[in-house]
Amino acid sequence: MVTTYLRRFYTSFATHIIDVPTRLLAFLLSLLLIAVPVAKLPINILLILTIANLMAIFAASWDLLVGRTGQISLGHALFFGIGGYTTALLNVKVGWPVWATISAGVLLAFVAAVGVGYLTLRVKGPYLALVSMALPIILSGIILYFKDVTGGERGIGGLSYLFPQVTYSDKSLAEYYFTLILLLASAIILYKVANSHTGIVLVSILDDEVASKACGINVTNYKVMALAISGIFAGLAGSIFAHILRAISLQMLAVDLSFMAVIMTIFGGLGTIYGGIAGAFIIQLLDKYVLIDVIAVRTEWRLLIYIAIIIILIMKWPRGVARFVTDQINDLSEEREIEERGPHIWKKYKKKKK
Amino acid sequence: MFEEIIILGAFTSGTLALLAIGFSLIYGVAEVVNMAHGALFMLGAYLYFFFTAPPPYPLQLDVIPAIIIAVVVTAIIGAIIYRLTIDPIIEDLVATLVVTVGIAIIIQQLMLIQFSATFRGLPNLVEGNQVILGVTVSNSKILAFASSMLIFACLYAFIAKIKIGTAMRAVAQDREVAMLMGVNCERLCMLTMGISASIAAIAGILITTSTTGIAQPLMWQTPLYMSFAIVILGGLGSIKGSLIGAFIVGYTEIIFKYTVPGGSYLTGIVALAVMTSVLLIRPKGLFGKRVEMED
Repeated sequence: MVTTYLRRFYTSFATHIIDVPTRLLAFLLSLLLIAVPVAKLPINILLILTIANLMAIFAASWDLLVGRTGQISLGHALFFGIGGYTTALLNVKVGWPVWATISAGVLLAFVAAVGVGYLTLRVKGPYLALVSMALPIILSGIILYFKDVTGGERGIGGLSYLFPQVTYSDKSLAEYYFTLILLLASAIILYKVANSHTGIVLVSILDDEVASKACGINVTNYKVMALAISGIFAGLAGSIFAHILRAISLQMLAVDLSFMAVIMTIFGGLGTIYGGIAGAFIIQLLDKYVLIDVIAVRTEWRLLIYIAIIIILIMKWPRGVARFVTDQINDLSEEREIEERGPHIWKKYKKKKK
Repeated sequence: MFEEIIILGAFTSGTLALLAIGFSLIYGVAEVVNMAHGALFMLGAYLYFFFTAPPPYPLQLDVIPAIIIAVVVTAIIGAIIYRLTIDPIIEDLVATLVVTVGIAIIIQQLMLIQFSATFRGLPNLVEGNQVILGVTVSNSKILAFASSMLIFACLYAFIAKIKIGTAMRAVAQDREVAMLMGVNCERLCMLTMGISASIAAIAGILITTSTTGIAQPLMWQTPLYMSFAIVILGGLGSIKGSLIGAFIVGYTEIIFKYTVPGGSYLTGIVALAVMTSVLLIRPKGLFGKRVEMED
């Protein structure tokens, strides 16, 4: 009985993961991430990796929205910040426990996403990009205005630990594993959504909205749904981020943070959920570890070098580093790979090439 | 208070228009949302400071040559930025946005390295005040307003009358057909970017000297938000639209400053809120050109 189950499990594991090179690579990389703490890393690197996990969720959620539906949002920090601020306010001012505050943060981010989705339904292209970029700035202005409640520029500090009952020495380890599990779960969910029936419908909206309407697709619902799913995951990342740093500030709504999601995703490969995750890890490690600990660069030069590297890489591989790697593994010919993955950002690219 | 709102609103709006037309121009011709516009604004102000500043800095030029050199240098830098970074990826909206924001951050860091984070006072262009209808307005504000209107008129004439302006309109209408008619699109877009950058630099010098008089490395953000609020409000790529947008935004801001307690916290925010609400009613701004549909 048990052996049958084991054999069946092994067969499906072998056919679905080991036989597909890219999935095998993803599997091995996640094993690596699980095994990382065994190396007894210093605590700051573990913190960097913990934050990279959250950033990866954030970037992947942005990718689902933009890579699939093509609604270019440059204000994804809105949901991250709403998650973080809700969590912090409820935790510090009202005294709710951790799990309640995180759920409330996610719920509010979801509500905000649905609201934003219905509001910006008619706005398209560069207009949408700039409007979505304006929303977090407006929210941070409101937060500054009501600074008695929200703490204004100084933000709110003194949130409770994510795991209050765990002893101090194990805290960072527990937080690392918690965020890692969350990352793996969200990555699988987002990837499944992106490649499900719904994902295909979303791509069809991206390709031609009028035609998908003519096919009987309720474009409004699907657009709002994509934004809502993406908002839920961004809000989740924001809430947990607040509990890990145990303080929040307006930095959580800053334009830089929205652009971090964009940079990480484009760097990794837009439209592939794994691209944003890979980009998040590479960029976090480059920014917080390589340029500080390995090559000690002065603070002013660090941001400069880091942005310059990113610009050069984006111009070199406009379709993303992770996509480049998977294409190498899959050995797709140039034509086919462009044909296969539709989003119009490459449609234009294709037009130029021919 | 009513007179103050009317007069100061007019002057603020007039100078804001200068900020926005550069942004609108480059979108109209090359369809590039240039997030580095604020950084070019800052670059203009800093170069002006560099050329006029006292001894630790090499040159102590007069005001007029300093402005001219600063504007020309910014225009060249803008054209180089276009050629090297924007042109290769111009097809891709998201990549353009990311790369131009990256360039803005690089310029910010370079300014931080060169001039450090301290506030640098810019020398005034003109001194003194005038009293108009019982409201005191500084001469530098009047100068900024007048030059803004002058540049606006020049640009309008340039686009309407000169051959290159006609080519610009042709490219804005249809890039491929303009190419078929023998317009060298890349070079034209580079030139447009140069003009846009030089207007940004002039705006940087005039607006900074007529308001705060201070240059600091983070000063690119507010002008950028203001310019995109104005430009989106008026419709991307429409020059008339950005003038009207500037007046709407300028007046709203002044009204908020004078009527709402603690309104100065909200200045930048109000502009963006106005922009958002207009877009919800008219998704392409007030005078926007038709957003090109895919195929």
